[in-house]
Amino acid sequence: MKNIQQSWAEPYKIKMVELLKMTTPAQRKTAMRNAGFNTFLLKSEDVYIDLLTDSGTSAMSDRQWAGMMLGDEAYAGSRNFYHLEEVVKEVYGYKYLIPTHQGRGAENILSKILIKKGDIIPGNMYFTTTRLHQELAGGKFEDIIIDEAHDPANEFPFKGNVNLNKLEALIKKHGANKIPYVSIATSVNMAGGQPISIKNLKELRLLTRKNGIRIIHDMTRVAENAYFIQQKEKGYLHKTIAEIVKEICSLTDGATMSAKKDALVNIGGFLAVNDWDVFEEARNLVVVYEGLHTYGGLAGRDMEAMAIGIGESVSDEHIHARVGQVIYLGEKMAGYGVPIVKPIGGHGIFVDAKKFLPHIPQDMYPAQTLASEIYLDSGVRTMERGIVSSGRKANGENYYPKLELVRFTIPRRVYTQAHMDVIAESAARVFERRKSIRGLKMIYEPKYLRFFQARFERL
Amino acid sequence: MHTIIEPFRIKSVEPIYFNSKEERIRILEDAFYNPFLIHSNDVLIDLLTDSGTSAMSSNQWGGIMRGDESYAGSPSFFRFQKAVQDITGMPLVIPTHQGRASEKILFSILGGKGKYFISNTFFDTTRANIEFSGAEAIDLLCEEGKFPSVPAPFKGNLDTELLKQCIIEKGAANIPLCMLTITNNSGGGQPVSMQNIQEVKKICSEYKIPLFIDACRFAENAWFIKIREKGYADTPVPEIVKEIFSYADGCTMSAKKDAFANIGGFLAMHDADLAQLCRNLLVITEGFPTYGGLAGRDLEAIAIGLQEVMDEHYLEYRIRSIEYLTEKLMAAGAPVMQPAGGHAVYLDAKQFLSHIPVDQYPGEALVGAMYIEGGIRSVEIGSLMFGKYADSGELIPAALELVRLAIPRRVYTQSHIDYVAEVIIEVFKNRKNIKGLRIVEESPVLRHFTVKLTPVD
Repeated sequence: MKNIQQSWAEPYKIKMVELLKMTTPAQRKTAMRNAGFNTFLLKSEDVYIDLLTDSGTSAMSDRQWAGMMLGDEAYAGSRNFYHLEEVVKEVYGYKYLIPTHQGRGAENILSKILIKKGDIIPGNMYFTTTRLHQELAGGKFEDIIIDEAHDPANEFPFKGNVNLNKLEALIKKHGANKIPYVSIATSVNMAGGQPISIKNLKELRLLTRKNGIRIIHDMTRVAENAYFIQQKEKGYLHKTIAEIVKEICSLTDGATMSAKKDALVNIGGFLAVNDWDVFEEARNLVVVYEGLHTYGGLAGRDMEAMAIGIGESVSDEHIHARVGQVIYLGEKMAGYGVPIVKPIGGHGIFVDAKKFLPHIPQDMYPAQTLASEIYLDSGVRTMERGIVSSGRKANGENYYPKLELVRFTIPRRVYTQAHMDVIAESAARVFERRKSIRGLKMIYEPKYLRFFQARFERL
Repeated sequence: MHTIIEPFRIKSVEPIYFNSKEERIRILEDAFYNPFLIHSNDVLIDLLTDSGTSAMSSNQWGGIMRGDESYAGSPSFFRFQKAVQDITGMPLVIPTHQGRASEKILFSILGGKGKYFISNTFFDTTRANIEFSGAEAIDLLCEEGKFPSVPAPFKGNLDTELLKQCIIEKGAANIPLCMLTITNNSGGGQPVSMQNIQEVKKICSEYKIPLFIDACRFAENAWFIKIREKGYADTPVPEIVKEIFSYADGCTMSAKKDAFANIGGFLAMHDADLAQLCRNLLVITEGFPTYGGLAGRDLEAIAIGLQEVMDEHYLEYRIRSIEYLTEKLMAAGAPVMQPAGGHAVYLDAKQFLSHIPVDQYPGEALVGAMYIEGGIRSVEIGSLMFGKYADSGELIPAALELVRLAIPRRVYTQSHIDYVAEVIIEVFKNRKNIKGLRIVEESPVLRHFTVKLTPVD
């Protein structure tokens, strides 16, 4: 039996700090207006606690910084590449590696290789950039996540699971040859960081194998997913995170990775596959978009930091502290009555904006509104994950997602328990005055990934 | 006149691993005679590229530690933006993970079937991006640029007569932009004169064609203008740089060259509508507009590097060190491109290995010979990189068969360069024993990166 402590105290101490600026309510009001009520458009200097994303915002370890100094910046054949290749093989088990400057670079290349016009790509809930790349390559995303995932109050422990009947129906309707792969995210971001179980993944493996369909793993938060398997799935309590991570990967055929999440780096990603032909094609394509296949648009030092970060990310103590902190924040918010997605996910707290602001209809952007109100209250920056992020269908109609959430994403190893307290208290204060909050109107809408750059006005 | 010395000293070193000639013969064979497939640990002096291989300064490393990794609105971005605006005078600045991403975005928007892009010479990735969009890339290099052994001060100039003819022939409406590559990398790192930039601008304005600059080596080009062009001897480099950019409507830049960064690039322009279109594409493949796929720390390093590169003591040292190697090789009779370019020494492989026909890739053969002799890694810029096939399957060779010895910025010392000269001279003496190569396996785009070759018996 492994000896994991009950408290979530961090298995590290602080080696370097970054100073924060405190702002006044008047300054925040001006900043929010200048940003068009879009938290993406705030200057980070005007932000006190930045929960916009856990992507690229981690604190690296002293060993990773030391690795940065060992960067070999040779254009071709950098030794950091070979180190990274070795680590990916060892920790995740995938055979062939193509580094990319970040996750979306890998998604772009993979979609271009595997998807033909008219193809269907089933997945356990969409993610913004992933779905866009599938669509740009001529494919169509189909959601096959279990229905529980769309219900923020449902406490089912594996809300990232796939409904196999939905997949079977798709195979029957379109034929397996129209489905190049099933896209499986570990820790489903848009569902609130919800895990998929090994049992479900194994069943999915059987079904896809029978039909000759690949599983491509969106593995950006695989270690966090593994933690929930360890804690909640029968028979896994005695396995290490590293073992579970490897088992998850072994049930899939390839992966896209944004290393800016689990792997504790500020930049970087990769595409990893077991299929030589796909690898060959990817290697030819990566030079067009990213860089030569032994650097993929990354500095050598960043490949080194990634190689070290991947090792750190599958340590039991690290993940225990990481998820422990997220759960601490979630329970504190729930204690104040703030409606959050349950169960609490691995990388952040997702507040149910529909329940928080029931008087604001979805086309007045309740989640976008709530994110701006939280910032105005305390300088805490969060992100909308609802109708704005969902974007429009090919025919121009808005997607109306069932979930209208505000994401409080916790960067890894960056904020302390006292910061968590400030965040929970701010959410509670806004919750108390929720009735007086008005919705928003969109006044500028970009064509792709509109949530990044859209601008709003108060109604 | 005293020796020109480096305006810096060394703060951190990286070991070089030695190997024997026998080991290198085997390594090259395992790498299919393609230098891009050699592990960097097996290279003694790496002159494959000056891109991303610079030694950063302690100030830049300070910036690295200061990087703010916020996903949106990082102060590192605002410092980066200001640095680019100060240099280019262009208000709209879009970071990208490197130069080819800037090109990719620009040409996906402006390119397409039936479009033509004109340049003095497009570089390999630029050309690939244009052709990928379905458009055609046209090089109109001045006549003197086509002869490696003929010295002239501005062999990177665009032929303005041909430019006019080309615009009339293809129709101005089908030419979304004209691009000047400064310095002209594929043509030997040769500079473009201010006069040529002015003339090109004038013609472009007449036909309402935007002028863009591929600005990778803008400071090196500015230095050549200062020392070679009439009227600029007393003008400070930052002012020359400002003037260059004042004629442009936009620019693409790989910060891995003249910004001393190991990663990064940008697009800058005046046209707000075009910038918006670029940002829309940016978020798909690169990242959010205030980081563009770069870590905050890299934005800092670029901002600082852009200022450092305009130091005249640095530029004098930089250009002189390239000249130094060129002179040594010339003295031994080896055929090198004249005059020395800004970032690399170019060997004329056609002349160097006159017994190897172009369809046996003399450039790549020479690259292999130098690796075996002394562990030096260089790159072919000739028919392997730019050659095409006719419908009959026959090779359409490139105009020049060059081998580039790109000198990383602030990395190698004079004794390293002396060693390089000795190795090349040794190879030159034994050149008759070098064999040509044939392709075993290749990819349809940018084949030189991954191609596999074998010696011809």
